[in-house]
Amino acid sequence: MSEHRETLRADNIVKRFGAVTALDGVSLTLRQGEILGILGDNGAGKSTLIKILTGYQPPSSGRLVIDGRDVALGSVDHARSLGIECVYQDLALANSLSVYHNMFLNREILYGGPLRLLNHRAMRRRAAESLAALGVTIPSVDLPVERLSGGQRQAIAVARAVTSNARILLLDEPLAAMGAREAGLIIDLLMRLKQEGRHSIAMIMHNYAQTLDIADRIVLMQHGKVTYEKDAAATSVPELMEIVRREYRAVRTG
Amino acid sequence: MQRRVLEAFARWQEASILLVALLLIAWFENANHDFLLSSASLENLSQFVAPAAIIACGEVMLMIGGEIDLSAGMVFALAPFVMYFAADAGVPTVLALLLGLVAAGGVGLVNGVVTLLLGIPSFVTTLGTLFLVNGLTLTISHGTPVTPPGGSMLAQVMGAWGYSEILWALGVVAVLHIVLRHTRWGLHTIASGANETGAREAGIRVIRIKIGNFVLTGVLAGLTGCLEAFRIGSIDPQAGGNQIMFLAVAAGVIGGTSLAGGSGTIIGGLIGALVLGVLNDGFTLIGINAFLFNIILGAAILAAMLFNGYITRLARHGGGG
Repeated sequence: MSEHRETLRADNIVKRFGAVTALDGVSLTLRQGEILGILGDNGAGKSTLIKILTGYQPPSSGRLVIDGRDVALGSVDHARSLGIECVYQDLALANSLSVYHNMFLNREILYGGPLRLLNHRAMRRRAAESLAALGVTIPSVDLPVERLSGGQRQAIAVARAVTSNARILLLDEPLAAMGAREAGLIIDLLMRLKQEGRHSIAMIMHNYAQTLDIADRIVLMQHGKVTYEKDAAATSVPELMEIVRREYRAVRTG
Repeated sequence: MQRRVLEAFARWQEASILLVALLLIAWFENANHDFLLSSASLENLSQFVAPAAIIACGEVMLMIGGEIDLSAGMVFALAPFVMYFAADAGVPTVLALLLGLVAAGGVGLVNGVVTLLLGIPSFVTTLGTLFLVNGLTLTISHGTPVTPPGGSMLAQVMGAWGYSEILWALGVVAVLHIVLRHTRWGLHTIASGANETGAREAGIRVIRIKIGNFVLTGVLAGLTGCLEAFRIGSIDPQAGGNQIMFLAVAAGVIGGTSLAGGSGTIIGGLIGALVLGVLNDGFTLIGINAFLFNIILGAAILAAMLFNGYITRLARHGGGG
């Protein structure tokens, strides 16, 4: 993977909330066309890291480099303008709205003229096209998203992020609470994105086996630090389990 | 086939309630042939439907966003008094009317700002302004009715002519239907009600949208109050009130708008108001008293909610999703 260009680098990111240190010097890199799996227990700082990378919160200290340039993300909109999109666990979908309305939410296509009315037809067509291009099959883009399955909804949320010209995708537990078939839908979508090679994807995960299947590289976070980093092909579920088990023992004896 | 019909019903949300309205009209027409065909009863019906429909438009926009305005009926009474006192002080009548609407919008603005910026549920905020505005109206009017200002031309346009009020209602419904279905404002209103956090994450300015809808509801309530004042030829501090506000909310709910937010239709609100008007006039014509009307109104609201929920569930289940 080393021949690919680095799209995002976090250098020694620290985040304190009063006396609590949520991130204690996290460093990681993300290259174009790769999928990075971020593993770790609850409270390891994964969500805080995502919030900093999306511009939702500023870090207390540390450096963020995007496409080779130092940036201080001022807001979610700022991060978005640099091509960073996050798919949250709550998916940010409006359930009663149709698939195509959701895909163009706040980026609607409008007719010209003073009235600036919604161009439903163009949005419907473009939504259907981009879903087909991503291999996401749903009965109709006219359906309200509440009529879709969990996997289909997750696929719509990812597709929305992709079609909004995001280059760096942050996924917060994209396979949480999903059956095998549903998860397969999302894994296929991620694999397709990886093949295209235009995106860098970082995903927070809980399931070690799934992560090793999907990701090119994994990092393990513990107590606000990255404690382990390796190519997915060079590690295994038992190895990861062993690290975490050591951690438990240390806590119990210490 | 049956599944198709259900799908169509669910897709065109207004269809089921329109069917109810038409059946009711047919039934009353059959019971009393003067129900619709005499122009007096048609005019009467339109004058019942119009105020409820106009205020329902505002309430529907609020309810879709997950909010409600209980003070609308009191704003209805306040606006014509502001108009009256402005005209009394020498302001030209048209301008005085606009001042009345500005005052009504001002109450909406207060409702919106207190609800959204101070984080108080709109049910509580507008319950407070309901009493506040009512007291204000009674105080400035000394509790006595006055005569609306202006020449006869303005009065005719603004409600004195028998059908002008329903024309205003149809105009407001047409404009707001387009706003809801064909503008970003409408789409973002629905998104704010369906998933407020998600709408914010998508960059939608939820607070601005909702405050705007509170202002809209205030202006529409004030407009209705002025129309009714010109129609009746008297500005009454007791006019409107909670009765008209609850009728408007009921019209919206019967028309398929969910109090939980996220879905609803403006046309449904108009048809809901029509159903209430048909029930009201119909029962009067066949000699059923007003007490019974409220019982039937209550039952109609419950039936409409159950029916809407049932149709939606059936279609969803039948769709095989």
